[in-house]
Amino acid sequence: MDILIDNLRLFLQAISGFITFWALFHMAWSTLLGIVIGALPGLTATMGVALITTLTYKLQPDLAILVLICVYVGAIYGGSRTAILINIPGTPANAATTLDGFPLAKQGLAGRAMGVATSGSVLGSIIGMFFLATLAPLLGNYALKFQSYEFFWLAIFGIVISGHLTSLEDPIKGWIAGFLGLLTAMVGQEGIHAYDRFTYGTTELMGGFALIPAMVGAFGLAEVLSVMRNPPIEMAKNPQDSVIPKFEDIMKYRRTIVRSGLIGTVIGIIPGVGEDIGAWVSYAAARRKSKEREKFGKGSVEGLMAAETGNNSVVPGAIIPVLTLAIPGSAPAAVLLAAMFIHGIRPGPMIMVESPLFVYQVVAMVFFATLAILIYGIALTKPLLKVLTIPRTRLMPVVFVLCVIGSYAITSRIFDIWVMLGFGIVGYILREMKYPMAPLVLGIILGDLLDKNMRRGLVLTDGDITPFFTRPICIVLWGITLLSILMTIEPVRHGLQRLIQKVRPGKRQGAG
Amino acid sequence: MKKADYLTGLALILLSIYVLAESWRMPRLEHLQAHPLSVPGIVPAFLAAILLIFGLILVGRSVKDGGHRLALSREGIRRSLADPGNQRLLLTAVLTFVYAGVLVGRVSYGLATGLFIFLFVAVFEWRRGMSPREMGRVGLAAAILAIVFTAAVSYTFERLFLVTLP
Repeated sequence: MDILIDNLRLFLQAISGFITFWALFHMAWSTLLGIVIGALPGLTATMGVALITTLTYKLQPDLAILVLICVYVGAIYGGSRTAILINIPGTPANAATTLDGFPLAKQGLAGRAMGVATSGSVLGSIIGMFFLATLAPLLGNYALKFQSYEFFWLAIFGIVISGHLTSLEDPIKGWIAGFLGLLTAMVGQEGIHAYDRFTYGTTELMGGFALIPAMVGAFGLAEVLSVMRNPPIEMAKNPQDSVIPKFEDIMKYRRTIVRSGLIGTVIGIIPGVGEDIGAWVSYAAARRKSKEREKFGKGSVEGLMAAETGNNSVVPGAIIPVLTLAIPGSAPAAVLLAAMFIHGIRPGPMIMVESPLFVYQVVAMVFFATLAILIYGIALTKPLLKVLTIPRTRLMPVVFVLCVIGSYAITSRIFDIWVMLGFGIVGYILREMKYPMAPLVLGIILGDLLDKNMRRGLVLTDGDITPFFTRPICIVLWGITLLSILMTIEPVRHGLQRLIQKVRPGKRQGAG
Repeated sequence: MKKADYLTGLALILLSIYVLAESWRMPRLEHLQAHPLSVPGIVPAFLAAILLIFGLILVGRSVKDGGHRLALSREGIRRSLADPGNQRLLLTAVLTFVYAGVLVGRVSYGLATGLFIFLFVAVFEWRRGMSPREMGRVGLAAAILAIVFTAAVSYTFERLFLVTLP
């Protein structure tokens, strides 16, 4: 009980700390910018957070992270506008939104669909925020027990699960992307003997590839190339009906909202698995449990609610491992993690010991961002749609100029512009060949963790690998990793399915 | 995609072998009495071994599907180059690489940025058979965007963030 009161006190302290003119001002512009970025097809949340990171160098750390979280929450919400109005997800997180959002718009209910998206996004963020506030301190304390063996498996687990879930049709491509990311992180001075690996005498490579230029390239330049290659998108039409969320929709679909919020949060916590997966899994679960299953895909309010609750609840969920393990739950959260390091914040298992208030400040930031999307969602729908009329031929050069100056500004090195260009072209090619980007980014971040902990673990045991496989947390992590790999092998999957059916014959008959 | 997978698989195998060889060549640091399992090459070699397995799987899978037999034809390349989407992609790649890779750092940042924005808008908004009036409108819009945005970015980064522009 005392802990609960302490936590609540910290949360209220964090909230009151942000009730200043400058904090509210930054919150207002950054959420609005996030919504605009999300609404514009071709500008993703990851790209938005990466580009805006370069505009926050001179801000105080707490204000900088507030700006980035507002952009992140705003972008995931903003993408629903385009998904509903023109059947094109503003960000990949809103792909599931198109399934029912656009049919509702075609029925003349675009305003209602936007109201549902607003309520789903707000409630999803609140559910995720609740778990961020309650789970992050617990996980932070639990993570203090992690040793090298657990961290080694955590890195492998993150890559394998992220690779699998972001490339469901062909998981091997997800794993390749992830291991390529890990390999990329091997470039530069290693952390145990300070030996320069794969630098070939280049001083610029001694620090390895900087994450922000790499991500700006993989998500910024790659997106610019992709948008310019695709045919232009039809302009949006204004909705005629009310965009104000309806209370009866919330009450009627409260179970769906809670379920989707929980699913989204859990998906968020899993390393490198982003908002798009959260939305798809929530949508599939809602469809399976729905009494109005036949309406799904034809304009189901429940389906739309599930998708939008699911994707926005991933945001706070993805921040949980960022704060407690320094491992991102999604691609935008990876940029957020990099931004925290740039601003001198040290997330990881020690955060609850060193700066517990910061965890609650982050909860407060999500709270303010949620409040802002609610206000903008109701008040600014029609003016926001004007942004969608900006032609890509004028938007993309501006975006690319920001990619260039943003990559350069961190350390004022032309080399970082080359890193951005390199990652942009490689990212584009990999994306065209259906390799997901999230595991690649996760790999770049987890490379150092894997490198140090694998070697430390082996040294501690003098080459005995038994502890890697026998410690309780390790067993869970390698067990899930192995299962994830085995499930992609068809005979194994069929065998397991047959086994489950044999064990649960009654359930199978009842399932129909 | 089969052909692409085949080529990616081959590239992965080559990369993995190269990384394995480089890892093997990395110092063992015996003079520092470093533990043999803490040497710098051990983790890159571990990762390269995994990527080698993935590369072999990709190649094996695409060979099974006939990916290694699909050859590039001159007609196919010609058709690909004539595709408007690919033409836009190529043009974007050229403009972005000339701007970021050649101009930035060599000529004044403001001039390079302004020129890039102006050319990007003008090139992509230009249509065959445009009247001089329409051309003028596109040119004016491109010039305004180039001047305003270049000034805004230069001011923000140079004056507010105190970054020395490239």
